[in-house]
Amino acid sequence: MSRKVLLHVGTPKTGTSYLQDVLFRNREVLAEAGIAYPATRHDGHFLAALDLMQLPWGGLQAEAIGAWDALAEQVRAHDGTAIVSHEILATASRAQIGQALESLGHGDATEVHLVLSVRDLVRQIPAEWQENLKHRARLSYGAFLDQITDPERATRIGAWFWGVQEIPDILDRWGQDLPPSQVHLVTVPPPGGAPELLWKRFSQAFGLDGIDLDLEGERHNPSLGAPETALLRRINRKANAELAPADYRPLVRELLAHQTLSRRTRSPRLALPPELHPWVQELSASWISEIEARGYDVVGDLGDLVGAPPVTDYTDPDRPRERHVAAAAVDAITALLLDNARMRHEQERLHAELADVRGALERAHATPSYRLRHGIVVRLERSRAGRTVLSVYRRARGRSSRSA
Amino acid sequence: MSTSVELGRARAWAWVAHLRAGGTTPWAAWQSADGPEASPPREPIAGSARGGRFLPGAQQLELLRRLNLAGRPSTALADRVLAASAPGRGRPDLELVGVDVDRRFGPPAVDPAELPDDELLRVATGLLAAGLVERRESAVPSPDRQRFRVTRRFRPRYELAGDPWLAAAYTSQLVADGRPPGGGGRSVHVLGTGVAAMLAHTWAAGAFGEGAPSWPDFLAKVRARRRLPRRVALPEVVDRFRARPHTGRVGVVLDPAALPRLVGVRRLDAVVDPPAHATELARQVGSALSLLVLPAEQTQLLDTVLRPRLAAATGGLPTVPPEHRDWVDDAAFALRQRLLRAGYPVLGDPDVLLTTPPDRPVGSVLDLAIELLLEEEAT
Repeated sequence: MSRKVLLHVGTPKTGTSYLQDVLFRNREVLAEAGIAYPATRHDGHFLAALDLMQLPWGGLQAEAIGAWDALAEQVRAHDGTAIVSHEILATASRAQIGQALESLGHGDATEVHLVLSVRDLVRQIPAEWQENLKHRARLSYGAFLDQITDPERATRIGAWFWGVQEIPDILDRWGQDLPPSQVHLVTVPPPGGAPELLWKRFSQAFGLDGIDLDLEGERHNPSLGAPETALLRRINRKANAELAPADYRPLVRELLAHQTLSRRTRSPRLALPPELHPWVQELSASWISEIEARGYDVVGDLGDLVGAPPVTDYTDPDRPRERHVAAAAVDAITALLLDNARMRHEQERLHAELADVRGALERAHATPSYRLRHGIVVRLERSRAGRTVLSVYRRARGRSSRSA
Repeated sequence: MSTSVELGRARAWAWVAHLRAGGTTPWAAWQSADGPEASPPREPIAGSARGGRFLPGAQQLELLRRLNLAGRPSTALADRVLAASAPGRGRPDLELVGVDVDRRFGPPAVDPAELPDDELLRVATGLLAAGLVERRESAVPSPDRQRFRVTRRFRPRYELAGDPWLAAAYTSQLVADGRPPGGGGRSVHVLGTGVAAMLAHTWAAGAFGEGAPSWPDFLAKVRARRRLPRRVALPEVVDRFRARPHTGRVGVVLDPAALPRLVGVRRLDAVVDPPAHATELARQVGSALSLLVLPAEQTQLLDTVLRPRLAAATGGLPTVPPEHRDWVDDAAFALRQRLLRAGYPVLGDPDVLLTTPPDRPVGSVLDLAIELLLEEEAT
C-alpha cells in the first residue's frame, strides 16, 4: 500500500499539461526515487478522472471505462509515494471525492496530500472561454461572461467554470477530510516572471527536488489571440454540424488552434474586460482571506491570485478587427492546404503501393493451375448441383472459405 | 460552527431520515430537527463511500421525495438514490437552502422542490443505466426474439432499408417468423413514410442505439447539413443498393400494406411509433450507459432490456417545432418530386411524404423514469 499519495486535482490552465508530461516521461526516473506515476499513456489520469466523475468527453468515455479503479489499484499496490494528477478532478462531487479518497487508501494508513495549483481569475476567465471554444463551443465572449457572472450558475458553462475555478469551494469539497497541513496550494506566478519558477513550485510541492528529471517537454496548451479566438468560434459555428468529434480534435484543435493560430503571437491578446476587474478583485480578495484563514500550505504567494491590472488597449473578441481575423484565416487556410497536400502525397504513395500489391496478386492468379481451379469453381457455382458439390468439398476440406 | 448552522444541519439530517422512511414532506415545509436521526446516520448509507458523513445533494433528496410520492421505494433504493452522483456535465450536487447560512462559496443553495425536472433526471438516468448494467446477466431477449423460430428453408430473399425504425421493426417480425434478411440476389425494399415521421424515427433509432443529440439539436444538425439523414434520403439509398453486386430488385415502399406481399407473408403487424418521452428517456439513459459499457453493449442493453420495459409507454412522436417546419416541408416536397420521377418502382402514394404525425400528448420524462425505477425494484 502507498505510504503517501499526492493528489493533484486542478485547476485547469495552471501548467498542468506540462507537469503531467514531465511526470509521464520521467516515470522510470521517478520510480527509482520511489515515486510512482502510474500511467501507460499520457492521458491515463484524464481517462481515470472521466471514469470517476462519469463524464462524457467526445467519445473518449469508452476508453475510460474502469480506468479509475485500475489507477487506484496501481496506487495502492505501490510501496512509497504515488502521484495522481488531473485538473478536471477539481469539479468532482462530494460522493465522487469520497469514493476517490477511499479507493486511494485514505483512512487506511495512507497519507493523502491534496495539491491544487491556482492562477488569478484575470487570466483564468479568458483562458476558460478559449478552452471552451477549443472543445467545439460556439458562444460569444459576452455570453460566456454573462453565464459565469450569473450568481445562479445554472448553465452548464457557469456550473463547470466555477466547479473547476472557485478555489475555496474546491478545497471545501476535496479537503474536508484532510488536515490543512496536507493541503498544498501552488500559485502560478504573474506574467513576465522567470519561466522556470512555476516548475520550481511544483517540484517543491510534489517533493521532486533533487531528482534528475528531463524537463524538455513540449506539451502545453498554447493560448490564442483575440482575432484567432474569434476565427475559431466562427469555424465552430459553421463546421460543428458536419465535423465529427474524432475529426475535430486533430483538425481544428490540434492543427488549426495549437499548431497554427497559437503561433500568431503579435495579434491582440485575449483579456478580461476592464469593467469586470473590480468584481474579480473583490472576489479574489475574499478567496485570499479565506485561504489564509484556513491555514493551508501555500507554495508561492497568495498575492499571485490578485492578477494584473486592466489592460489599456482591450480588444473585444466579439468585435475583432476584421483584417486581423482575415489574416488569421489566411494562415488557417494555408495550414489546411499544406496538410491536404501532405495527405494527397500520402494517398498517392498508398495508391502506388496498392497497385504494386494488385500487380503481384494478378501475377499469382495468372498461373495455369490457379486459372484451372478458378474455372472449375466458377462453373460449379452456376448450378445447384455444382454448389452442393462445392459445399461438400469445402466441408471435407475443413474450412468455410469461398476462395478457390 | 455557529448554532444556526448546527440547527440547520440537524434539520437537514432529520429530513434525510424522513425521506429514507418514505416521507413526502417538501423541504420548505420541513421544520423538525428532533429525533435520533437528526445527525449523520450511524448506519452508512449503502453505496456512499464515506458512510453518509456529508449531506446528499438537493437533486438526490428531491428525487427520493418524488419516488416516495409515486410509490414505496425500499431503503436499498432510497440509499442508492442518496449515494448517487449525476453523470455528465451539469450543475453539481446542490445544498439545501437554509442549512449552512454561513456558507460563502460554492453554488447557491436551493429549495429542492424548485429544481427543474432535468436536474432530477440526470440522477435518475444514472441510476437506471447502472441498473441496466447490473441486470445485463439476466437480460432477456425482446419478445420478438423470444418468438424466434427456425429459419424457413424456402423464403424470399429480401432486405429492408430506409426508415430505420420501420425497417428494424418489420425485419424483427420477419426474423421471428423464420425469415431472416439477406441472400444473393435479394430484393431491397426501401421503406418510407412522412418525412417528419422519418426524422423522428431516425432520432429514435439513434436514441435506442449508439446515441443521439436532443430532438431540437438533432433537427438543427439536419438543417445545417442541408440534407436528410443518410438512411431516409430514399433515392440515395436506392442508388447505393443498386450499385451493390448480388442485389435484385430495388424499390421504394411508401404503403405498409404492400410490404407483406413483397416479403412473402400474409400480414405484418403495424409498427408502433416510439413515444417522444420514452425516446428521450432512452436517449438520456443511453448517454449515462455510454460511461459504463462499450457502444455495442450499450445498444444491446437499450434494445433488449430497456425498450421492452418502455413498451407500455404511450404518446406521440416528437413534433417538429415551428422554426423547423419550413425546411422539413421543403425537404418532403423535394423528396416527393424525386420519387415521382423515379426510374424504379415506388409503391404507395408519394404524397404520404408530406404528411405529419398527429399531435398527441407527450408524457413526462421524469415521471416515466420514476416509474421505471420503482418497477425495476419490484421485478
